[in-house]
Amino acid sequence: MSNENINVALIGNPNVGKTSVFNALTGLNQQVGNYPGITVEKKVGFCKLPNHAKANILDLPGTYSLNASSMDENVVIELLLNKNDKLFPDVAVVVTDVENLKRNLLLFTQIKDLEIPVILAINMADRMAYKGISLDISHLEEQLNTKIALISTRKKQGIEELKQLIMSYKNLSTEPCLNASSMDPDYFGGLRKTFPNELVYKLWLVITQDVNFRGIEKKEILSEHRKSDSELKRMQQKETIKRYQFINDVLKVGQTIDKESARDFGTKLDRILTHKVWGYAIFFGILFLIFQSIFSWSEVPMDLIDSAFGWMSTAVQEHMPPGVLTDLISQGIIPGIGGIVIFIPQIAFLFLFISVLEESGYMSRVVFLMDKIMKRFGLSGKSVVPLISGVACAIPAIMATRNIENWKERLITILVTPFTTCSARLPVYTIIISLVIPDERVLGFLNIRGLMLMALYAAGFLMAIFAAYIFNKILKVTSKTYFVVEMPNYKLPLLRNVGINVVEKTKAFVVGAGKIILAISIVLWFLASYGPGDDFNNADKIVTAQISKSDAAVSQQELDGHIASYKLENSYLGIAGKVIEPVIKPLGYDWKIGIAVLSSFAAREVFVGTLATIYSVGETDEQDPIREKMAAERRPDGSKLFDLPTGISLLLFYAFAMQCASTLAIVKKETNSWKWPAIQFAIMSAVAYLAALTAYQFLQ
Amino acid sequence: MIQELIAFGILGVALLYLGRKFFYKKKKNNDNCGTDCGCG
Repeated sequence: MSNENINVALIGNPNVGKTSVFNALTGLNQQVGNYPGITVEKKVGFCKLPNHAKANILDLPGTYSLNASSMDENVVIELLLNKNDKLFPDVAVVVTDVENLKRNLLLFTQIKDLEIPVILAINMADRMAYKGISLDISHLEEQLNTKIALISTRKKQGIEELKQLIMSYKNLSTEPCLNASSMDPDYFGGLRKTFPNELVYKLWLVITQDVNFRGIEKKEILSEHRKSDSELKRMQQKETIKRYQFINDVLKVGQTIDKESARDFGTKLDRILTHKVWGYAIFFGILFLIFQSIFSWSEVPMDLIDSAFGWMSTAVQEHMPPGVLTDLISQGIIPGIGGIVIFIPQIAFLFLFISVLEESGYMSRVVFLMDKIMKRFGLSGKSVVPLISGVACAIPAIMATRNIENWKERLITILVTPFTTCSARLPVYTIIISLVIPDERVLGFLNIRGLMLMALYAAGFLMAIFAAYIFNKILKVTSKTYFVVEMPNYKLPLLRNVGINVVEKTKAFVVGAGKIILAISIVLWFLASYGPGDDFNNADKIVTAQISKSDAAVSQQELDGHIASYKLENSYLGIAGKVIEPVIKPLGYDWKIGIAVLSSFAAREVFVGTLATIYSVGETDEQDPIREKMAAERRPDGSKLFDLPTGISLLLFYAFAMQCASTLAIVKKETNSWKWPAIQFAIMSAVAYLAALTAYQFLQ
Repeated sequence: MIQELIAFGILGVALLYLGRKFFYKKKKNNDNCGTDCGCG
């Protein structure tokens, strides 16, 4: 390698065709080796330029940004920081893909800020017409302060122009794209004072990436300019946001994508799936099919599980010696576990559909589609991701709000996400729907129960949107916002990925929730099986005396049932239920439902397990599935307890109530205050109570 | 008697688990750790 040759570094994101550019420039003049001390491949080539000039071309490992997360990426940063390295580039060629220019330009702006001459090579230019993309090169060159080569390695176009630009690299501007100091003027001002001869952006990379830089180490900088890891992370996020704001502004004029003139299959499909009428129709059609399938397909396995748990309770009761432990297992533990296991089929089907939608690339289209609606309610387009993923669980969904840059939009998204129907509500919904909604079809194929389930999901989503609108009016915070979403290519979902996703998420739900449900079931069983005073301890005598006084003829089985019911009413659990009964009676609930509502304030899914435990306490016939026990429950006047008004009231209560201690904890963590989870809990509980009250009083 | 002992033992474990789950707070082990780093 001659020292007189121009050193050129080829840098770019993975899969932008960087190696094709390297091959086009160097032909067969290549040397392949390793970087000293590490097993990262080093490819250097030799290229003849016009006017007998020569260049050494270095093909650097693909990297998305200068925020290194791998050894390969570290190589790029270390080289760009060390001017004494014999491979230090005289000019960097940042290779980008015309279809992903927005994402690719992030790396370009970072390299530009290192004040190295940079050429922007936009590859795959032959696909521009196919994709309906047009570029205003002179505008881009002016705004990015660089020279652009529009190339196509596949069609061998633009390579000579690129060589010409490399040759005249000395004419390139080294002005940075962004002023790094604007991230934190005081902090960067201090850095400049301590290291007056160094570029502050290089110092920033040393601090954040922990790379070697001419003897200056991270510790040395941080000893005088201390920042905690979380503060540094926040500043890095701010940097990325500023860069994307800059890129967006540049591309707003510099790049036009005319979807109408695009001719590829993906774009044609996009035209339908993101259409202002068909897009929504298809989306709601898909949702409709999902809810229909959840009900129809899981019916058989659910019945099997239900019967199996009933059989297990009976077997324990018959084969174990009589006693407290036998009763605890057969009436507390088995029904409690059964209350959650029974919903595995439905939850697995729900995750299966969500995984397929995500894997196929359709979910990003939904985000794009819904952005237009979201904006009207003061939410970011990115709020759609938490709202949709909230269908699985509110906890990861709330954590997913971290990529919403605007604090107000993020806070509103955090506050309204728990309205979205999470999987923990599914067990409550399905059991209540199966009790109060007839298993009938309209038009021969529409399952009414499936429609009801879909309506509840819609109610949760609409309430989230409505609450966002109100919060947007109340919260007075203004800040700039923008929306960037990348549309991945459509692909057939990989069976393996979908399978892993379904198994992992179902397991997390069952194991995570299952342990809590089991523990609560055990505690509830004790509370329902023990009580204070004579009423509980002498239940047998009191009930027998009452019956003999009334002269009514009852069988031994009926007598046992009356005694069990009397004992439950006077147990610790029964007393607690009676205390809250005046509050819940207007909603159509008796004290047993009240107990289930109360216990499920820790986690919604506990509701069914609690009812399963309550209805099993003192039961002699364990084989009755929980649904049948609930269906058989009667009010004192002999009418069905779980009728339509009570069922709808319960469904609405669970649709809107904030009954998840873990979600409240994560909201506290994300907002760093108890104020927001307290407000969220109060508002959601009030909305739930009012909705349930209105529904019951209206339908009664 | 033995059944009662085991049953109340199970109750104790269940209460302990619920207490740890909802009331016990892990102590932070890193002074540099902020509220959003997920290491608390």
